[in-house]
Amino acid sequence: MDIKFSKNRIEFKKELNNLDKFVIDFVSVLDKLNIKYVLISGYVSILFGRSRSSEDIDIFVEKISFEKFKGLWKELSPKFECIITEDQEEAYKEYLMTGHAIRFSYKKQYIPNMEVKFAKSEFELISFQQKIEVILNGIVLYVSPLELQIAVKLRLGSQKDIEDAVHLYELFKKYLNIEELQYYNKKLGVESLFNKHLENEKITRY
Amino acid sequence: MKKSPDINLKEFDKIKEQNFLDRLDFIRRYAAWQKKVSNKRWSSSQKKIVDN
Repeated sequence: MDIKFSKNRIEFKKELNNLDKFVIDFVSVLDKLNIKYVLISGYVSILFGRSRSSEDIDIFVEKISFEKFKGLWKELSPKFECIITEDQEEAYKEYLMTGHAIRFSYKKQYIPNMEVKFAKSEFELISFQQKIEVILNGIVLYVSPLELQIAVKLRLGSQKDIEDAVHLYELFKKYLNIEELQYYNKKLGVESLFNKHLENEKITRY
Repeated sequence: MKKSPDINLKEFDKIKEQNFLDRLDFIRRYAAWQKKVSNKRWSSSQKKIVDN
């Protein structure tokens, strides 16, 4: 794997799959309107090569005004549609402002879709403040810090989530800030899961 | 009424846990393979899975 890794920046090239192209297409609209975002959860693992697909991509968007949101809706509308509601006021006031997500897919396609939320909780805000810049084939994407991503995935705890955490850890362990990872593991109460599945690399046989 | 088969749930859970550990082993091996090969090689394999 050819990759350039520095503190807040990862640069690499890959053959883009349809999910990558969908994400790049969507965030190009956010970039155009100067709306800050951070990609989180499963797509972060997929971006770095996890061999699975996903029906949705989780993204936090900075809290924006209703006026700015209307501008975003308009800019997205030639290619994308909100599959939760057709009413932009409802999308903003009843969903985003109350902590719920809205979803955008390509028109008439439903999946994949971008699951858009305003960052609100402590960990969501940390994702935002400490996001890393990923340069993929020369295109900039912002993703959650990997240390936080691994701990959150362990906390989520499904088989798929733990697999995502193991994949990221195995791929990037020599670059990770271990103190930071341990801090997040402690804060999220996943130290024992981390020790069981990420530190212990041997297969346990009965 | 047909007699339902006896299912040993402890045995079942043991197999489930072992399957999960085997999956994690595969993920580790996959990441190790990814680190060894070129980006083009792993990403074209990934593209086949994602785009299928």
